Amino acid sequence: MKTKKNSINISTGERIFTIFNYAFFVVLCLLVLYPFWHVLMVSFSSTDAALRGGLFLYPKGFNLDTYKSVFKSPDIFSGFFVTIVVTLVGTILGTLLTAMTAYPLSKKRLRGGKLFMFLVLFTMIFNAGMIPNYLLIKNLGLYDNIWALIFPLMVSAYNCIIMRSFFSAIPESLEESARIDGANDLIIFFQIIIPLSKATIATIALFTAVTYWNDYMSTVLYIQATDKWSLQAVLRNMLTNTQQAMQSAGVNVRAQTNTNAETIKAASIIVATVPILIVYPFVQKYFVKGVMIGGVKG
Amino acid sequence: MASEALRGKSKKSGYWVTLGKSIVQNKWLYLLLLPGAIFFLVFKYIPMTDLKIAFMNYNPFAPDKSTWVGFDQFVKLFTKPAFLKVLKNTLVISVLKMLIGFPLPIILALMMNEMKSLKFKKISQTLLYLPYFISWVIMAGIVMNLLDPSTGLLTGVLKVFTGKDMQVLTDTSSFVPMLVVSDVYKNMGWGTIIYMAALSSVDPQLYEAASIDGAKRFKQMLHITLPAIMPTIIITLILNCNNILNAGFDQIFMLYSALVYDVADIIDTYVYRMGIQKTDYSFTTAAGMFKSLVALILIYSVNFAAKKSGNDSIW
Repeated sequence: MKTKKNSINISTGERIFTIFNYAFFVVLCLLVLYPFWHVLMVSFSSTDAALRGGLFLYPKGFNLDTYKSVFKSPDIFSGFFVTIVVTLVGTILGTLLTAMTAYPLSKKRLRGGKLFMFLVLFTMIFNAGMIPNYLLIKNLGLYDNIWALIFPLMVSAYNCIIMRSFFSAIPESLEESARIDGANDLIIFFQIIIPLSKATIATIALFTAVTYWNDYMSTVLYIQATDKWSLQAVLRNMLTNTQQAMQSAGVNVRAQTNTNAETIKAASIIVATVPILIVYPFVQKYFVKGVMIGGVKG
Repeated sequence: MASEALRGKSKKSGYWVTLGKSIVQNKWLYLLLLPGAIFFLVFKYIPMTDLKIAFMNYNPFAPDKSTWVGFDQFVKLFTKPAFLKVLKNTLVISVLKMLIGFPLPIILALMMNEMKSLKFKKISQTLLYLPYFISWVIMAGIVMNLLDPSTGLLTGVLKVFTGKDMQVLTDTSSFVPMLVVSDVYKNMGWGTIIYMAALSSVDPQLYEAASIDGAKRFKQMLHITLPAIMPTIIITLILNCNNILNAGFDQIFMLYSALVYDVADIIDTYVYRMGIQKTDYSFTTAAGMFKSLVALILIYSVNFAAKKSGNDSIW
């Protein structure tokens, strides 16, 4: 009898904690999601409602006019074009290069491999800094060239480490049987190792793609011509132009001249976010996988 | 004596022979490595040679006319009040971010680990780390929308609590807290799943055994869950120390304005304005180099401390 009572006591305490725990995460998730929802709803709302502000659980005065004007902007299209090209080319080249670098480094028989690995790791903890990197791009003649958006971000030390620890876990015996059949390291890498590592390669490709998609600073530092601006740079320009106008002209002017500034900003945020939101549910499990591989010490 | 010298010599030439052999044997591996080696050489190590301009009075328009000045630029760094202020801002912002941003994911992961519904756990993880993948350009757009002085939702909420019309983005007293909150908002989910990933490798039998032994949930958390994520905690802490002078360039660059330079200007934003915009290359390269050196020293010493105390370290 006594023990039974005891166990009930424990379970009430635990039940309170469990309820609190679930409630806490429900609220936290809603808090994390609401800002995105808010901007989405503002983008569909009338300019009057947007100027009144407040809580937006649904669009107030639903209309698509804002999107019509956003999609008329040639800058958005050129931004999308540049970012898609840079992301595709950069991700393909970068992922291939990462795998090609990491594979030899996973082989213990490679002389100098340890030194090379140290040199790769060192770039993670010591960076030359903004000015030397800027001078490099200028000296290479890449200033105002779209390759300046691609080259510097192709390989990261972190991705190399993830790939290398994955390759290290592949049993040596797989290669040995291929070697007996006369295959060299190049054939083994492209025909055996790469097909085996699809999931990890997909993870690295996704990390790389997100880096390129979100990259803003490269444009600021290395690109001048507006037709070569990345999507993030175009978006930034749209978000701040009205802000600057507002600051220099006084707060109230906006209400009369640029009446739909709020909805335009919201819609351009949504337009730039939607591609990520569409792929996110499908690819997010790979990110978790990447974290787990990366968690294994390199 | 002579034979000894001879043996030493043959040993040496033997080394070169085996090295040559191993290079020939692994030529395809070296070939695979070559493009990556060129990448790291060109894009990571050649810029390091340009650190020399930190010791010069570099003239970007006529590099030949630059003069060597030794450590003058570094002396200037520490005698210039503007830089000292920027250094202080950097430290304040990154320490505040760390104070909240470091323990929070650990607490969230511990709480999440107590949830039994796998589906719920998965959905909340997925939702919580979504902001991590959104660029700071977009995040800043959202923050500016929510904090807009006239229409912003949070401006309204803050008015209810403080009774004042807060202009958070242009106010020196609230700008830094805003940086901390938005940074935590963006990164806490990612930090949490790193710990969750570490926890997924814990053997469930450990919990069963502990509960048979009468350990309650809190005790189980203290003695099973926490030790399981300890290595990850240490490594995250080490990497955080490496970042102490990176107070978040992208974030601050997107959100700050001249009105809040006093509290929000950090080394990176300062380097950008003085270097890229005003072409004071030597001084700003010195500032950047100081930053990288501090990071290097910090990570080495923290890593050393972690090793000494018997914890996991990053090498």
